Amino acid sequence: MLTISGRLRSPNDGTVANFDMPMLERLPQSHFTTQTPWYAQPRKFSGPLLRDVLAAAGAHGTMLRAVALNDYWVEIPFEDSARHDVLVARLLDDKPMAVRDKGPLFVIYPFDARPELRSPVYYSRSAWQLRAIEVR
Amino acid sequence: MAVAGDRGSLAAAPGSAGRWRWRWLGSVGLALLLALVGAIWVQSRQATLLNETVREGSDYVVLMVFQNEAEYLRLREEWQRAIDPSQPLDAAALQLRYDIWVSRVGLLHNQETQKAVADHADFRPTMRQVDAFVAEADQILGAQPSQPLTRQALAALMPALSALGGPLHGLSLRASHNVGEQIAQRNEAVRRHNQVGLALTAFLLALTLAFALIALRQVRQLEQRRATLEELAASLRLARRDAEAASSAKSVFLANMSHEIRTPFHGLMGMLSLLRETGLTPRQIDYLRTATESADHLLAILNDILDMSQLESGRMTLAPAPVDLRVMLREVEALMRPQATAKALALHIDADPSVPERVMADATRVKQVLFNLLSNAIKFSDRGAVVLDLRQREAADGRPELHFVVSDSGIGMDEATVASLFKRFTQGDSSHSRRHGGTGLGLEISRNLARLMGGDIGVSSRAGEGSIFTFRMPSQPVVAAPAPSALAGTETGITPRPLQVLVAEDHPVNRQYMAALLESLGHEAHFTANGQEAVEAIRARCSRPQGGCFDLVLMDLHMPVLDGVGATRAIRALPDPAAATVPIVALTADAFPETRDRCLVAGMNDFLTKPVSPQKLAASLRRLFGAAGAHELPAAPPPPAPLVPAGSPPLLDRAAIAAALQAMPRERLAAMIHGFLDQGPQTVARLRAAVRGAEALELRVNAHAARGAALNLGLAALAATAEALHEGASHLPALEIARHVERFEALLPLTREAAVAAGLHLPTQRRNGAPESAVT
Repeated sequence: MLTISGRLRSPNDGTVANFDMPMLERLPQSHFTTQTPWYAQPRKFSGPLLRDVLAAAGAHGTMLRAVALNDYWVEIPFEDSARHDVLVARLLDDKPMAVRDKGPLFVIYPFDARPELRSPVYYSRSAWQLRAIEVR
Repeated sequence: MAVAGDRGSLAAAPGSAGRWRWRWLGSVGLALLLALVGAIWVQSRQATLLNETVREGSDYVVLMVFQNEAEYLRLREEWQRAIDPSQPLDAAALQLRYDIWVSRVGLLHNQETQKAVADHADFRPTMRQVDAFVAEADQILGAQPSQPLTRQALAALMPALSALGGPLHGLSLRASHNVGEQIAQRNEAVRRHNQVGLALTAFLLALTLAFALIALRQVRQLEQRRATLEELAASLRLARRDAEAASSAKSVFLANMSHEIRTPFHGLMGMLSLLRETGLTPRQIDYLRTATESADHLLAILNDILDMSQLESGRMTLAPAPVDLRVMLREVEALMRPQATAKALALHIDADPSVPERVMADATRVKQVLFNLLSNAIKFSDRGAVVLDLRQREAADGRPELHFVVSDSGIGMDEATVASLFKRFTQGDSSHSRRHGGTGLGLEISRNLARLMGGDIGVSSRAGEGSIFTFRMPSQPVVAAPAPSALAGTETGITPRPLQVLVAEDHPVNRQYMAALLESLGHEAHFTANGQEAVEAIRARCSRPQGGCFDLVLMDLHMPVLDGVGATRAIRALPDPAAATVPIVALTADAFPETRDRCLVAGMNDFLTKPVSPQKLAASLRRLFGAAGAHELPAAPPPPAPLVPAGSPPLLDRAAIAAALQAMPRERLAAMIHGFLDQGPQTVARLRAAVRGAEALELRVNAHAARGAALNLGLAALAATAEALHEGASHLPALEIARHVERFEALLPLTREAAVAAGLHLPTQRRNGAPESAVT
């Protein structure tokens, strides 16, 4: 479901770390409700924190490349995961997300908690239909 | 005028210009405020614009629309591959592509997206077309497909899918254009705001410059005003210096002038006294008396002015010399008692035992101050007593000070009067000044003199309760020189040579007294009874070829025919140089400085006040002839009784009697006293006759003569009464004068009793008593 590759200390599949949904569910869960450019109303996002996912894979580096199902990719500075409570959301309004609902995984920033995040830079870093993360 | 003009312009400037400047400052300040508010508005508008951009994310919409198109193209490609019979059907890949695209389509329904592209005419039909396709496709690719996924079904939908390509591409272009326009609009707005901001900044700059200009103007004006003020101050300083110089020059001028005026004035007074002896009618005598009194008054004023101007110009200098304080007090008392007696006031003068015998002081000036204070006290008291107490106290710095405390029971003064007391030309109460006369300079002169001596005069007074004036001066005791034990001591080693002394004196008792006095000093006395005779005697004796001119003339001032001053002028005018330069010493009962001045101006060499004690005469002789004139005599013995017992003056002046006893044996003095008393009835008769005939001058002459003799013999009460008669002769009512004459008569037996009680017995051979020397 999510493949983390690149500079990892604890890969679980050769040189990469593969996560399926139960593995993500086992990580500490978090949630927030926020306004986004993609929905008319504020929505609730739930799932593990990005830093916990990275930690589970033993990832270390300076830059992340988030890749979506449609091969859209965007670069996220590694420190964003430490500085902000970035979620790897797997539930939208407590429901699993279908691909057509931008699922199944959605990298989302807490836009409402930090006004400075409401900028195109962070909107573009919120990669949905997340498929893989490359650590550099 | 220039100064006044400058000040005028200074005063006018803040009026109109100041108001104008304030209005200017106010409006500029307001404009600045408005400009700042405008700038804030522009910046907040820009911030709002920026926020709108961020929130709407309209540029992000472009990306979404393009990605939607891209996903559509990838789906179409996958779809075509799926319906191609030559390739295996990858349902999962198609499903994923389809889901991704549908998720993108969902975004287009989003409000923000609609805002960016909604005004595009094709948007709604395109969306309807897309939605219709999704609804159909969902039957085979949706979450709950109602038909199986087959190539046929897919192929059937292919045309509808392909038909979406054109509209979606148009949407992309439209979104792109729209966003471009929005950006252009926003840029335009920002540019506009920037322009407004620039204009505001320029405006602010202009206003700031205006402010700076005003401030600069203000500073320059302040600078100018300061310069003007400095100029003004400088000119004021200059004016003050000029004024001070002028004032000082005036003081010097006044001092010179009053001094210069006095010389001819003394001549005038001398002539007046000569005029009196030229056989005048009673009316002329009366006029002359008024003229003399006016002249006396004028002289007193002149002296005051001279003192004042000398004090002001700093030319007044003190000549401190050893002064016997108690002797000085007796002299003051002798002068002041008649005034006090004339007003029926008690006069007490006393010195504390702690006061040193002799101090260094300028006796003339100290007495001048005391005269002034006592005269005032007497002048402003109508009853009770005037008291002069001399004490020694410690000053604030611990040095000894003499305090002359003059207290009276007079009208007193309120605080305001006390405050203005030492100011020039003021008297205690202006309503009294007419009554009491005077220059009003007295107290100021006294205070200035006191300050010159290093002391001051203070006053405390309550209206109606009298006043206390305290004259303080530093006490500098004189180490007493060892007093010679005897009268005829020979410590100096020079034996005085006998001097030939001519005494011009009209009163027989005084002649006897002077004879005794001169004899005791080892000199030979010759007598004349008036000034005319004295001039003749000198002319006769000094023109003798064998020489033997008189060594000295003792000249009584009040004499019939020609008085002392007139005689002195006549002697000084003699052609024979030896006669014209003979030393002349005045004898007088009044110690007024003006009298002394008159004598000295007339050409006399010295001045002795009655009673003439041996000490005084010896001192004068020493001044004129050095040690050859006389030995220094011991100071007069202190009086056995306090200076003044309470109440009226005593019958006898024990100090004067003690002094006289130094010069002659007791019997001789007793003979003189009894001789004087024997002549008393005749004197009384003459006085009565003068009162009856209203002959003031006659009264004065007789009273004065009696007073001089009584003073010399120490008959204090008689002397005081004679003084009162002398003083009051011209202005007291006849009844009052008659009362004084009666008192004089009544005092004769009382004085005789007192004299006998004091050990001055009637000599047994009185009729053969003291010889009366004739003119040689």
